[in-house]
Amino acid sequence: MTANALALNNVSKTYGVDIGVHNLNLELAQDHILALVGPSGCGKTTTLRLIAGFERPDVGSIHISDRLVADPFQTTPPEQRGIGMVFQEHALFPHLTVGDNVAFGLRRRDASRTERVRFMLALVGLEALAHRFPHELSGGERQRVALARALVPQPALVLLDEPFSNLDADLRLKMREEVRVILKGIQTPAIFVTHDQDEALFMGDQLAVMHAGRIEQIGEPETIFHVPETRFVAEFMGETDFLEGEVKTDGIQTEIGLVRQEVGFALGTPVELALRPDDVSITPKVGAASLVLARRFTGALNVYRLRLPSGRLLHAFAPHDVIYQPGTPVEIALSARHKLACFSRQAATIS
Amino acid sequence: MSRLTVRDLWSTGQLRARQARFLLPSQRALFLLWIPSGLAAGAVLLPILYLLIRALGGGESSWEIVLRPQTLETLWRTVWLAFWVTVLSIAIALPLAWLTTRSDLPGRRLWAVLTPLPLVVPSYVGAYLFVSALGPRGLLQTLLEAPFGITRLPDIYGLPGALLVLTLLNYPFLLLTLRAALLRLDPALEEAAASLGLNRWQTFWRVTLPQLRPAITTGSLLVVLYVLRDFGAVAIMRYNTFTRVIYIQYQNSFNRSAAASLALVLIVLSLIVLILELRARGRARLASPNRPSRRPARLPLGRWRWPALLFCLAIVSVSLVLPAGLLAYWLLRGLAAGEVLGDLWATAGNSLLASGLAALAALTCALPISILEVRRHNAASRLLERISYAAFALPGIVIALALVFFGANYVPSLYQTLSMLVLAYVILFLPQVVGTVRTSLLQVHPNMEEAGRGLGKSAIEVFARITLPMVRPGIISGAALVFLTAMKELPATLLLAPSGFPTLATSVWSSVSEAFFARAAAPALLLVLLSSLPLALIEIRQQAKDKIVR
Amino acid sequence: MHHRFNLLTLLLLGALIVGACAGPNATQETPAATDPEAETEDSADETSADDAGEGSLVIYSGRSETLVAPIIEQFANATGIEVEVRYGSTSEMAAILLEEGENSPADIFWAQDPGGLGAVADAGLFSTLPDNLLSRVDPRFASPEGLWVGISGRARVIVYNTEMLSTDDLPDDIVAFTDPEWAGRIGFAPSNGSFQTMVTGMREAWGEDATRDWLAGIAANGPSLYENNTATVTAVGAGEVEVGFVNHYYLYRFLAEEGESYPARNFYLNDGGPASLVMVAGAGQLASSQNPENAERFLDFLLSTVAQQYFASQTYEYPLVEGVVTSSLLTPLSELNTPDIALGDLADLQGTVELLQEVGLLP
Repeated sequence: MTANALALNNVSKTYGVDIGVHNLNLELAQDHILALVGPSGCGKTTTLRLIAGFERPDVGSIHISDRLVADPFQTTPPEQRGIGMVFQEHALFPHLTVGDNVAFGLRRRDASRTERVRFMLALVGLEALAHRFPHELSGGERQRVALARALVPQPALVLLDEPFSNLDADLRLKMREEVRVILKGIQTPAIFVTHDQDEALFMGDQLAVMHAGRIEQIGEPETIFHVPETRFVAEFMGETDFLEGEVKTDGIQTEIGLVRQEVGFALGTPVELALRPDDVSITPKVGAASLVLARRFTGALNVYRLRLPSGRLLHAFAPHDVIYQPGTPVEIALSARHKLACFSRQAATIS
Repeated sequence: MSRLTVRDLWSTGQLRARQARFLLPSQRALFLLWIPSGLAAGAVLLPILYLLIRALGGGESSWEIVLRPQTLETLWRTVWLAFWVTVLSIAIALPLAWLTTRSDLPGRRLWAVLTPLPLVVPSYVGAYLFVSALGPRGLLQTLLEAPFGITRLPDIYGLPGALLVLTLLNYPFLLLTLRAALLRLDPALEEAAASLGLNRWQTFWRVTLPQLRPAITTGSLLVVLYVLRDFGAVAIMRYNTFTRVIYIQYQNSFNRSAAASLALVLIVLSLIVLILELRARGRARLASPNRPSRRPARLPLGRWRWPALLFCLAIVSVSLVLPAGLLAYWLLRGLAAGEVLGDLWATAGNSLLASGLAALAALTCALPISILEVRRHNAASRLLERISYAAFALPGIVIALALVFFGANYVPSLYQTLSMLVLAYVILFLPQVVGTVRTSLLQVHPNMEEAGRGLGKSAIEVFARITLPMVRPGIISGAALVFLTAMKELPATLLLAPSGFPTLATSVWSSVSEAFFARAAAPALLLVLLSSLPLALIEIRQQAKDKIVR
Repeated sequence: MHHRFNLLTLLLLGALIVGACAGPNATQETPAATDPEAETEDSADETSADDAGEGSLVIYSGRSETLVAPIIEQFANATGIEVEVRYGSTSEMAAILLEEGENSPADIFWAQDPGGLGAVADAGLFSTLPDNLLSRVDPRFASPEGLWVGISGRARVIVYNTEMLSTDDLPDDIVAFTDPEWAGRIGFAPSNGSFQTMVTGMREAWGEDATRDWLAGIAANGPSLYENNTATVTAVGAGEVEVGFVNHYYLYRFLAEEGESYPARNFYLNDGGPASLVMVAGAGQLASSQNPENAERFLDFLLSTVAQQYFASQTYEYPLVEGVVTSSLLTPLSELNTPDIALGDLADLQGTVELLQEVGLLP
């Protein structure tokens, strides 16, 4: 197996009393894209800056392509780490043209300089704009320049810090596809920081969910989505509702019935089940204990908000042509074909 | 449902905005800004009108002086001096600005307060003090004579002396603009350069410095125009610039027409400088208008710590401690010899009143001019903004005489009153405050004002509660700059102040010109001290605010 | 962008402007409407209202406040006249008077040197003084047309550094300073009015060519050119140069401030040439004066024994009126070998300036 593109071992960094990041461990294989996702303030940008070399770790070590670049005793300056970085606000040099921005990271004596810049501009589709200044570009064009600039020196690793956060929704969708295609095309490993779970699921070959300075879970997108290891991950990924229950011999007893599935908890443990709208189905039934509160039409689907007898809220998908008025009593069933994530409420309260 | 409401709201907003625009008597509103701006520009043009009257009134003979071969020589000398003062000022101000904003220099805060202060030393006082300290047989030579037997230092007069004085007293113009620009710099740009493989030094040259270009041009503009105007330093250092030649015309041959023709050449020179500055603004739009959310990191100086400290110490010693120390020495010696100080407080009060009013008036003129230029940005508003610089290179005596001429002959009721003096100060110093207010206005996004209007606030409220607080730093520093330059302005004060209205500057002059150094020392020290206060207070307050933010 | 503007911002600004800035400006636009005669009457009314008793007097002084304020105050106290004084350099005051023209509020111009007086006289702004004033001083110390009168005298001298030179080293004749042995040892202020009057005196006594030769000879010695007499004396005291061409009285300020040990003294050339010219600070009365009687009283006072004694003892100048004792520090006027040149004949400053420019001593 080839070397890891990146390895973090027990990396911690504190700012005074604030903990920045704590005990990070991760490995990134060559050609892979890792999406680092979490709410704002979770430490994902700090992680990126540690990797880039703008911060130095208090504890732990960082290797890029198996080369030690930082531990508490020594640190390689950012310019010698062979990384490419795409900044949140792009950080294009306003005094340079698009072409000069892209050429910036290449040595002046590099004979292939012009050729490489042209190739890269062609790759991001901006050949015609080489002589424009950054303020003369649209948001998406700036984004592409930033990417081209980071990629042209052929970095060992590309770091993208919420690169799409300034773009509007349509453009975001388009850009993330483009960027992924480009990164995959030139087979460059990348770390992609975002707070948007959709973006993370789309971009990452691997996903790391961060919370309060720690990595809560790391794995493939499907695993993270369907088998969240912590309540936070379950809550953060997707529109998740939690349903309380208690462990019985043949499953979990909840207010909408018994959910038959094996759980690793002792009998009688109070638990929570993580439910997503696609796990829940409804049928109208006169006299049912649950009610439709509201309907949200998303085009392809109807999303219903439901009130259970206990007052707890739950969401359910229904096809776009299945319409119930608010106030309709409905019977709720669980239609999941996979095992539902289940967390002990005891553990939560104890920890 | 909710969607509909949002759309409803949105379209009502649109409608309201449209109505507002429709109902707004924009023509009248515009007049209200254009008129004061136009009047201010008109006032600035008065001296030029006066010069034209004088130069044309003198007939052909007044142009002879312009056409003689020495003129070209003087022109060259003047440009040469201005060029080198600017280069040296950049060489001093750039490292100082960087050290006090971006490094872990020991005592950084103190240096940040001290380094701009030489600006308050009037050039006629500073030059005099430098000669007595560093002249061929000055204080330094006396100190060196005993240990080293040096009986004479190399001549300070001429270009070296003028260069020394003007650089040390004017570099703060650049320092102030550079510091502001460095603090506004987006740290991501430097990080991007590092991620692209540039080391710190390369990053500074290829990324940081180009970002500082507008600050360097603005600061240099002030320095150059100030050098063109200066009389005190070049007179004492005996370097014949255009301004000195103009003075000599008035002084020796009372030849007003010749002086006026020469002054017109000076205006042409300043126009060229202004055009060059416009060119330098260039096509690339720099400095992102919004302050970055993150402050740039401070870099450790390492083994450069001591040389850096020494550099700051040397600059402050020569440009601030030396003049102030000499003044204090003269004062103490005078007091010991029984010199009485007289009524300095009334004199100081006069200075404060006139300069304070000047700051206020200049601000009031600068606001509409800058607002028009920034928010409308058409040819006319740009012209107005440029016109406000038109008189900036003119020596004080030319502007003063223009106002004497118009005042005595057309508005005798205002002649020799405080308002005339304040008007002269406004004409002289308007560009300083137009520059700073314009820069801070550029940083207020029109959205902010629109948001205020959208929240149902009247335009007055929006101006008072949103725009004004946001441009306040620019307003305060611009007003402080006008205040301290008005404090030290001599010729305009001498010629236009009401009779029996001595100021600190005129007191210093009247004593120095008759060689009463001890008597000059007290008002000079007071002048330096009082003008330092606003500058120092602004910096200290800013530092306190930054601490809270951190 | 256009609509980002709001009416009330403008209103507020407008108010501010009118309040603080356009005030002086706006009124400047109405001058045409003002009847100049009405204006005159107004100010006449004002002055009489100011002081019902003795009226007022406006003096433009090219002499320094430190020197002349005490004697002016004495005049005001003695007469009860309300005196207003503007101080500045002589050339600045002359320039102001030229700009003000007929509309000058000044009654008296008191100048440091004849040059400034001559410029104002040439512009026709002075009125002729009565003989009883003019006759108080030697005719060579007053304008031949009677437009101004000398008030106090100052002699041209050589100031020398006593640590570097003794009187024996100094020549009797100013021409000797063109000798190359003086190269790099001379200082003076070519833009100073007194120096220029001396050169004008040379042109009068020696003729243009000899004067040009002398100036060229001095220029060839690479003199240090200072801004004014004070700077020249300072340089001599510091030993920056060995001799300076100055007026006599500056030295006494230094002696008063630095003590007797100050290493500079005056040397009077005894050649009787233009270099030992005695010059005057003088005063004239403006033709546009609205207080001609007070102006005359003031000139009369300046030529009184009291005032003349003040100049002799306080400013170390030569009194110009008979019967006043010269300071014991000075060589008496009667013992000076001064040339017989009338100051009124030395009006052609322009010619002198051109000559100085020609030899490169002035820019």
